[in-house]
Amino acid sequence: MKIRSAFLIVSLTFLFLRPAGAALVWEQKEADLHPALTDKTAVAHFKYKNTGDKPVKITSVHASCGCTTAALAKDTVAPEESGEIVATFTIGDRSGVQTKTITVRTDDQPEQATILKLKATIPQLLQVAPVFLFWSAKDALTPKVITVGVGADYAVDKINVTSTDKSIETEVVPVPDKKEFRVIVKPTESGRPINASLKIEPVLKADAHKPYYANVRIDSRAKPPPQ
Amino acid sequence: MRFSLVRQLLLLLGLAFLPAIGQAVYYRNSTSWAQPPVDSAPVSLAQAESWGGTVLWLDARSDEQFARRHIPGALQLNEDRWDDLLRAMLLQWSPDRRLVVYCSRETCHASHEVAERLRKEAGLTNVYVLQGGWEEWETAHR
Repeated sequence: MKIRSAFLIVSLTFLFLRPAGAALVWEQKEADLHPALTDKTAVAHFKYKNTGDKPVKITSVHASCGCTTAALAKDTVAPEESGEIVATFTIGDRSGVQTKTITVRTDDQPEQATILKLKATIPQLLQVAPVFLFWSAKDALTPKVITVGVGADYAVDKINVTSTDKSIETEVVPVPDKKEFRVIVKPTESGRPINASLKIEPVLKADAHKPYYANVRIDSRAKPPPQ
Repeated sequence: MRFSLVRQLLLLLGLAFLPAIGQAVYYRNSTSWAQPPVDSAPVSLAQAESWGGTVLWLDARSDEQFARRHIPGALQLNEDRWDDLLRAMLLQWSPDRRLVVYCSRETCHASHEVAERLRKEAGLTNVYVLQGGWEEWETAHR
């Protein structure tokens, strides 16, 4: 009976023991970021503490993409010392939910990397689809439509669309009962290759937003618009 | 005696499952980090090179990495400057071109993300992701 009890106690002890040698203890390994519409970057702080009795050296910090940098104040962490890795995610022209990882290796557990996870939900004022319209040699130059949706958290009553090529005319039509616009794109000229850019801007009181773009390409052999 | 041991083993297994179940419930709405990127029509280097001049190489790495070295003739297309770079890329595009996107290595997701945006947002077809990425090309052309 005593042997069996000892067996049970030892087993339970092993069951609830923390992994051996885990000297660096992380306050959190996941960051959930919600940058504002005008933010250029999103920054996460991953704090750690050396709870072991020996110094730990952080041998490498590697981000999963070039859009994320991870800064480390010092690479050797003394016992009971705390520190942090500051991860900066460059938003650029990204949209939606972005997940990036940072892989951290230490000399106490070189084979077991710590994966830090950064999730950034990038707000999107407008959603433009498609961002590319193409009229090939086989196509007649009939109008095509771009849909511009307004993000759930925003109110946009009007958008402006301007073309870099004056032969491309556009008409904006709000979709009733939907937070959406239809941009009708009408080529008016044929016989020459056309590469144009359409700049799509919401009309807002606040000026702090970036424009959106769609691209138009027309093959010089595309057929003239029907009369 | 044997029955008692089996009972203890079952008890231990049950206890081991408790934290696992708790974690599964707690993180049920979390993102699956282990989830691989969307299947982006992978293509081997040999296959892509066999397509010759129809290939348009697209470099999804950072500006700095591109400036250091890139596949000859490759165009830059990353999400840091998506709008500007997409516009420049579309000037070189034609319907018969095959777009092969690469980033730094196998574990890099940027090429998959760029390929996905080209398909979904620009409606382009013939979009592939280079297996092994830049490292594969660099090793083969040393």
